[in-house]
Amino acid sequence: MTVSTDQHKEGKKEVTFRVFRFNPQVDSKPYFDDYTIPVERGVTVLRSLNYIKEHIDGSVSFRAFCQAGICGSCGMRVNGLSQLACTTQVWDVLAKSREPGIIKVEPLRNLPLIKDLIVDMDPLVGKMVHYSNWVDSTMPEAQMGKKEFLISEEEFLRYDKATDCILCASCVSECSILRANKEYVSPAVLLKSYRMNVDSRDASHDQRLAELVKDHGVWDCTHCYRCQESCVKSIPIMDAIHGIREDAIESRGKHDTSGSKHAEAFMTDIEKKGKLIEATLPIRTNGVVWTLQNLLPMAMKMIMKRRTPPPPPLVKSVKGIKIFRAMFKEMTEHVKQDHKSHNK
Amino acid sequence: MKPFDIVIVGGGGAGLYAAMEAMKTNPALNIAVLSKVYPNRSHTSAAQGGANAALGNKAKDDTVEMHIFDTIKGGDYLADQDAVDVLCSEAPKIIRELENMGTPWSRMEDNTIAQRPFGGAGRPRCCYCSDKTGHTILQTLYEQCLKKGVIFFNEYFALNLSVSGSRSNGLIAMNMKTGKVEAFQAKTVILATGGYAKMYWNRSSNAAGNTGDGQAIAYRAGIPLKDMEFVQFHPTGLRKSGLLVTEGARGEGGYLLNKDGERFMSRYAPEKMELGPRDLVSRSLETEILQGRGFDSPAGKYLHLDLTHLGADLIKSRLPQIREMSMNFEGVDPIEEPIPVRPTAHYSMGGIDTDNQTRTVMEGVYAAGECGCVSVHGANRLGGNSLLDILVFGRIAGRTAAEEAGKFTPGRISEAELAEQFEEIRGGMHPSGRYERYGELREELGQTLALNVGIFRESSLLQKGISDIAELKERFKKVRISDSSDVFNTNLMQVLELKNMLDLAETVAAGAYARQESRGSHTRIDFPVRDDANWHKHTLATLVKGDVTLGEKPVTMGRYELQERTY
Ligand SMILES: Cc1cc2nc3c(=O)[nH]c(=O)nc-3n(C[C@H](O)[C@H](O)[C@H](O)COP(=O)(O)OP(=O)(O)OC[C@H]3O[C@@H](n4cnc5c(N)ncnc54)[C@H](O)[C@@H]3O)c2cc1C
Ligand code: SF4
Ligand code: SF4
Ligand code: FES
Repeated sequence: MTVSTDQHKEGKKEVTFRVFRFNPQVDSKPYFDDYTIPVERGVTVLRSLNYIKEHIDGSVSFRAFCQAGICGSCGMRVNGLSQLACTTQVWDVLAKSREPGIIKVEPLRNLPLIKDLIVDMDPLVGKMVHYSNWVDSTMPEAQMGKKEFLISEEEFLRYDKATDCILCASCVSECSILRANKEYVSPAVLLKSYRMNVDSRDASHDQRLAELVKDHGVWDCTHCYRCQESCVKSIPIMDAIHGIREDAIESRGKHDTSGSKHAEAFMTDIEKKGKLIEATLPIRTNGVVWTLQNLLPMAMKMIMKRRTPPPPPLVKSVKGIKIFRAMFKEMTEHVKQDHKSHNK
Repeated sequence: MKPFDIVIVGGGGAGLYAAMEAMKTNPALNIAVLSKVYPNRSHTSAAQGGANAALGNKAKDDTVEMHIFDTIKGGDYLADQDAVDVLCSEAPKIIRELENMGTPWSRMEDNTIAQRPFGGAGRPRCCYCSDKTGHTILQTLYEQCLKKGVIFFNEYFALNLSVSGSRSNGLIAMNMKTGKVEAFQAKTVILATGGYAKMYWNRSSNAAGNTGDGQAIAYRAGIPLKDMEFVQFHPTGLRKSGLLVTEGARGEGGYLLNKDGERFMSRYAPEKMELGPRDLVSRSLETEILQGRGFDSPAGKYLHLDLTHLGADLIKSRLPQIREMSMNFEGVDPIEEPIPVRPTAHYSMGGIDTDNQTRTVMEGVYAAGECGCVSVHGANRLGGNSLLDILVFGRIAGRTAAEEAGKFTPGRISEAELAEQFEEIRGGMHPSGRYERYGELREELGQTLALNVGIFRESSLLQKGISDIAELKERFKKVRISDSSDVFNTNLMQVLELKNMLDLAETVAAGAYARQESRGSHTRIDFPVRDDANWHKHTLATLVKGDVTLGEKPVTMGRYELQERTY
């Protein structure tokens, strides 16, 4: 393979790949190695890494298999953002690079590091098992293959997007709760759990849900939207998380206490301390108004039903908090009013 | 440690179905699945199109018999007809079984599994889930295996069978996380490691790891490989990476153009134009390139797949995947510019010779999926038949191994044998004096195969290919592994894969040289017609004293007599 130019193309750029290195056999702590190579338009981060491995340093270690964005092997952080190396264009990353000409490549977060850009996926598989991420068919094994279940297009569409997930763990790496609590269920596992729960062929809905509402489960999510924003397949993961929560309230009743204990803390945090973890609400990326419009209605619904996400683990002040607090107050009043009049 | 009852090598569709079925057959058995990547990463996930089964949901008059005929004809009468019978008869049941276990098939209006037309099939019988069929099948199987508690050894690289005489003692594999070479003493071993088309490297649509490891392992153990010369080329691979641009692009009205801007398919298929059968279109592209009407680039000669006249709206709505791929991997937006393409090695029809129960000639060793060759695809596989093959024969392998495991008593795999294996793979770490670079050898292998053992074959080209491969094998002895670490040594893994590809390339070239006829995917310029009198038979490649030795095996007929294959 070459990363050389086509004559008719507009040339190449010198790019420095700052690669995270760690070999547990010899290194006591990680470090970075710089590799500068010429890269033409159309070349992906993965092809650049392959080039480095073949031409400069064969010991640079990373996973890759399909090279087409379908197997999920090559998840890594490129300039801080978790994504697939094989579908990420070097020139696109460069255009947004804070340090001109430099691309930083690091392993995914929130999974144990094995070597260089390789992390251990076993914890994620363990969680898939823990939350029964499979269809437990209502059809007895001996009957299988004889006739089809009849499934409507409408049902198919309920889990169509969720089955796009390639378990690349980008969302896992970006999840703000996982950074503080490694036992947290994980966005991809919530997504899969949801997909199973809305499948009419499945017989384990209730047990799965019972597990999901326990500690480290669906109520621990802070609605920070980072998983959805980073999903390499653009899957609306938050729909799944909301879906599970709503389902939990509906099928387990309003007085199921799991999750509700966090409500007070959350409210206090926003109102009194006037601080928010930047990761907790998607303000930074989506703006105050968007956050209020899209997120708070759900949060309010939760609060009214005594279900709110937990407080953020790390607290950092956010710009625009004044406007936010004012709007938040107004909205809380509004919802409370609504709620009262509704209860009459 | 107690020997395993069954060790399955490969976590693709074939391996996982085998594991599931073996556990169903006898839950008391001690079963392990070994895979060099996490099972859900396997190449089965790349299959977009679908899997064939005569369910009759779409075409009420479809029958298993028609599916059988299409398959036999598509394979240019080289498939074993009793095996094709098994494949097609089991198809409806196995597709429904997957459905019953949770595969999210797309649906028809009457809520049954949806089906669509596919090349070479007389009726629309290809069952699909949007454009992610293989992915969802693999997910379902992985999930069900986790549910059943199948024991996985993920990121283990299988090295060799341990053999005593005509019997296998099990498998020797390297744990990627530690670099240790470990023994898996086993009553039975199922090889399900997928295809070998990646030996054509960046002229292949396959994943980096489709390097034919299982076939090479069997070959080194003295098990014959069947019909290795049959490699299917897909007409439109991306120029740089070989990745597939699916037929959909031409289906929507895309043009194939040469450097003179001519729609050259008018010369080869004036009526069907771009939509002629796969092998014909591949040969047409290759002819244009060979006759100097291709574009030049450092990544090789290529042609244009032009979609620009279709307009931005249609491209965005109907071909979003293709647009994304072409932008990601060629840096070309098909709305503005034509996509650079050339034929790409796509599928390996050949593989480990097995009977209809997936048994190989070695006691206790079975093979299934693209790794095995029963043979159901003959000289040319039909689209949608491979996913079916891995399911049907994966299941048969699981069941047969589970039933037969009790018959075998494997010998012990000694420490000495492990040490020897370790030495063999690590010996190449630091060759003294001049050394060879892995990347260069692999590049040259891909090139000589594409050039000399590619779409068009001919005696002198093949001889060149054979001598190139021999030379590369010689140079391989001096290859350097530049990572000296024990932990996740991907460089070592690449080198081991290259070794497997070199071993197999020899069998592909030898088979292609011997077969003096043109049949299915195998086109000899010097023998342009099918020669049933002399070549209506399988070739078998066996390793004897370090050399490829060719044998033959008759084709099982019984259903359809030989006919000329015309469409
Ligand atoms: C782009 C593309 C599109 C396709 N589309 C279709 C389609 O639409 N319809 C259709 O029917 N077919 C299609 N095919 C073909 C089909 O996908 C494959 O033939 C099939 O999936 C092979 O499945 P398998 O289980 O045999 O092997 P794979 O899925 O390739 O799995 C092989 C397994 O073996 C493991 N393995 C390999 N070597 C080792 C080793 N040394 N040690 C340990 N483990 C090892 C791997 O980790 C992997 O788990 C397509 C193929 C390609 C390339
Ligand atoms: S919304 Fe935030 S906390 Fe919740 S799963 Fe996604 S990333 Fe994690
Ligand atoms: S949900 Fe998206 S980001 Fe997360 S693992 Fe699946 S595909 Fe990757
Ligand atoms: S290598 Fe498969 S997703 Fe990137």
